[in-house]
Amino acid sequence: MLELKEIYFTVPDKEAENGPAEKTILNNISFTFEKGKFYGITGPNGCGKTSLAKTIMGINKATHGKIIYNGKEITEMSITDRAREGIAYGFQHSARFKGVTFRDLLAIAAGTDDEGKLMDILARVGFCSLDFLDKPVDSTLSGGEIKKIELATTIARHPGLAIYDEPDTGIDLWTIEPMVKLIKRQITDYETTTIVVSHNKAFLEAADCLVLIKEGQIAYTGDLEGAKPLLSDLSVCRYTDLCEGEIDAQCYR
Amino acid sequence: MLNAIDKKLLKAVADLDHMPKGPFNIRKNGKLLSREVSGNINIESNEDGTGIVVTVKPGVIDESVHIPVILSQAGLHDVVYNTFIIGEGADVTIVAGCGIHCAGSGNEGHEGIHEFRVGKNATIRYQEKHVATGEGKGKRTLNPTTKVYLDENAVVEMELTQIGGVDEAKRVNEAELGAGSALIVTERILTEGHQIAVSENNIVLKGDNSKTNLVSRSVIKEDSKQDFYANVEARAKSFGHIECDAIIMDNGVNETVPALRALHPDAELTHEASIGKIANDQLIKLMSLGLTYDESVDRIIRGFLK
Ligand SMILES: Nc1ncnc2c1ncn2[C@@H]1O[C@H](COP(=O)(O)OP(=O)(O)OP(=O)(O)O)[C@@H](O)[C@H]1O
Ligand SMILES: [Mg+2]
Repeated sequence: MLELKEIYFTVPDKEAENGPAEKTILNNISFTFEKGKFYGITGPNGCGKTSLAKTIMGINKATHGKIIYNGKEITEMSITDRAREGIAYGFQHSARFKGVTFRDLLAIAAGTDDEGKLMDILARVGFCSLDFLDKPVDSTLSGGEIKKIELATTIARHPGLAIYDEPDTGIDLWTIEPMVKLIKRQITDYETTTIVVSHNKAFLEAADCLVLIKEGQIAYTGDLEGAKPLLSDLSVCRYTDLCEGEIDAQCYR
Repeated sequence: MLNAIDKKLLKAVADLDHMPKGPFNIRKNGKLLSREVSGNINIESNEDGTGIVVTVKPGVIDESVHIPVILSQAGLHDVVYNTFIIGEGADVTIVAGCGIHCAGSGNEGHEGIHEFRVGKNATIRYQEKHVATGEGKGKRTLNPTTKVYLDENAVVEMELTQIGGVDEAKRVNEAELGAGSALIVTERILTEGHQIAVSENNIVLKGDNSKTNLVSRSVIKEDSKQDFYANVEARAKSFGHIECDAIIMDNGVNETVPALRALHPDAELTHEASIGKIANDQLIKLMSLGLTYDESVDRIIRGFLK
C-alpha cells in the first residue's frame, strides 16, 4: 500500500519575471494506492504524471508532504533504498548507455546473472526474444525495443509496487494486448500494486481505478465511465474541424 | 624464470596464465627472458640489439604472437624498438603490452617504439595493454609509439588499453594508409590520482578508398589529466571518422582536439566529441534497479571502457 499525503513538487521558474519564482508541478496530491490493485493515471501532456511517478520513486524530491509505503515513511529515502523496499519504475524516457547490454540490465534488476533465471523472466515477458538479450542498450535501439526492455527490467524485480510510465509508447499493434495481460498477471501472481501512466484505452480500461490529473492536481478518481465527461471537458483541441464534439470512448488521446 | 609478480603482470597485460601457445618474446627488465618462434612467424633481435623484428610470412592465417614486456627493477628506463613485417595476405593477432611493478622509490619506465609494415591484403589485430602495480613511490612512465604503414587493402585493428596505475603516459600513434586499406583504433584509458595521459594520433589517408575509424574512451578520475589529439588528413578519396568520449569525475581535467584535414575533394571526414560527467539518467536508471550510487558509477564506467 502506498499513501501520498499532501504532496507538492515545485521547481524554480526560469521564465518568471515578476510572478512567483517557483512553478508548482504537483499541487497538493493526496491519494492511497491499495495493495494489489491496478491504477491507471491519465491526463493531458504536461499535467504532472511523470513528475508524480518520479516523486514516488525518489527521483524527484517532494517539496512538501509525506509518502508512506507499507506503513513506513519513505519521503526522505534514496532511489536505491526505495528500489530495495520493492518499488520499481519503468521510465517514460529510458536511459541509453554505452557498453551495457539488455542482459546486463536484466541481471542487475533480477539480482542474478544466472542464465536460467534470466530465461524465466524473458519467457514471462514473452515479447523479448532470446537474441534480444545481447543487444546493447544504446542509441541504436528502436523506440519500441527500449520500451520492452524498460518493462522487462521493471518486472524482473518482482516489485511490491510497479509504476509503468507510458509502457505502450512506440509498441507495435501485436504487443499492446500481451503487455496489458502481463501487467495483470503480475498482479494475480505477486499482488503487485500497479500504476500505469497512459493515454491508451487498452490500459485505462484494464485498470480497477482511474486517476485523472489536471494541472498538477487530482481532478477525478474512480471508474472509467465516471471519468468520460471530464475527459471530454479536458479537450484543449482548437481545430474544431479536426476535433469535433466530445472525446468518446474510442479516443482519449 | 618467472616469479609470482612476473606471472601476475603477464596475466594482466597479455592474459597469459602460462607460456603462450605459438611464437612469443618476453622481455624482462630490458633483457630477453624467453623466446619461441614458429615456421610461419619469426622473431629475432635487431642488428643493434635495441629490440626485435617480427616477420610473418605471406598467407599465414589465424596465428598469434605474444610480445609482452615486464619491468620490476627500480631506476630502469627501458627503450625498445620493434619492427613487425607482415607478409601479403596474412591474418594474425599480435598481443603486446607492458606491465610495470614498482616496489620501491626509484622511477621505472618503458618506451616501446613499434613499427608495422602491413603487406597487401594482410589483416592484423594488435592489442596493447598497459598495467602498473606495486606500492612503491617511484613514478611509472609508459611512452608507447606506434607507426603503422598499410599497403593496399590491408586491415589493422588496434586496441590500446590503459586502466589505472600508470603515472605518466604519452602515446603517439602514426599511420599511413594505402589504397583500400582500413585502420580501426580503439583506445581506452582510465586515469586517477595525479596521473597524466596524453594520446596523439596522426593518421594520413593516402590511398583511394582508404578508411579509418578512431574511437577514444577516457575516464578521468580524481586529480588526473588526459589529453587527446587526433589528426586525420585525407589526401585521396577516403573516409575518416573520429569519436572521442571523455567522462570526467571529481577534479579530472581533459582536453580533446579532433582535427580533420581534407586535401582531396572526395574526402569524407567526420567527428563526434563529448566531454562530461556521467549521464544522470544512466545513474538514476541503475539506482532504480537497486544499485547504490557508487555501484552505479562503477557499472557505467566498466561498460564505457569495455
Ligand atoms: N525538473 C523540472 N524542472 C522544470 N519543469 C519541470 C521539471 N519536471 C517537470 N517539469 C514540468 O512539469 C510539467 C509536468 O511534466 P510531466 O513530465 O510530469 O508531465 P506528464 O504529465 O508526464 O506529461 P506527458 O503526458 O507529456 O508525459 C511540464 O510542464 C514539465 O515541463
Ligand atoms: Mg510523462
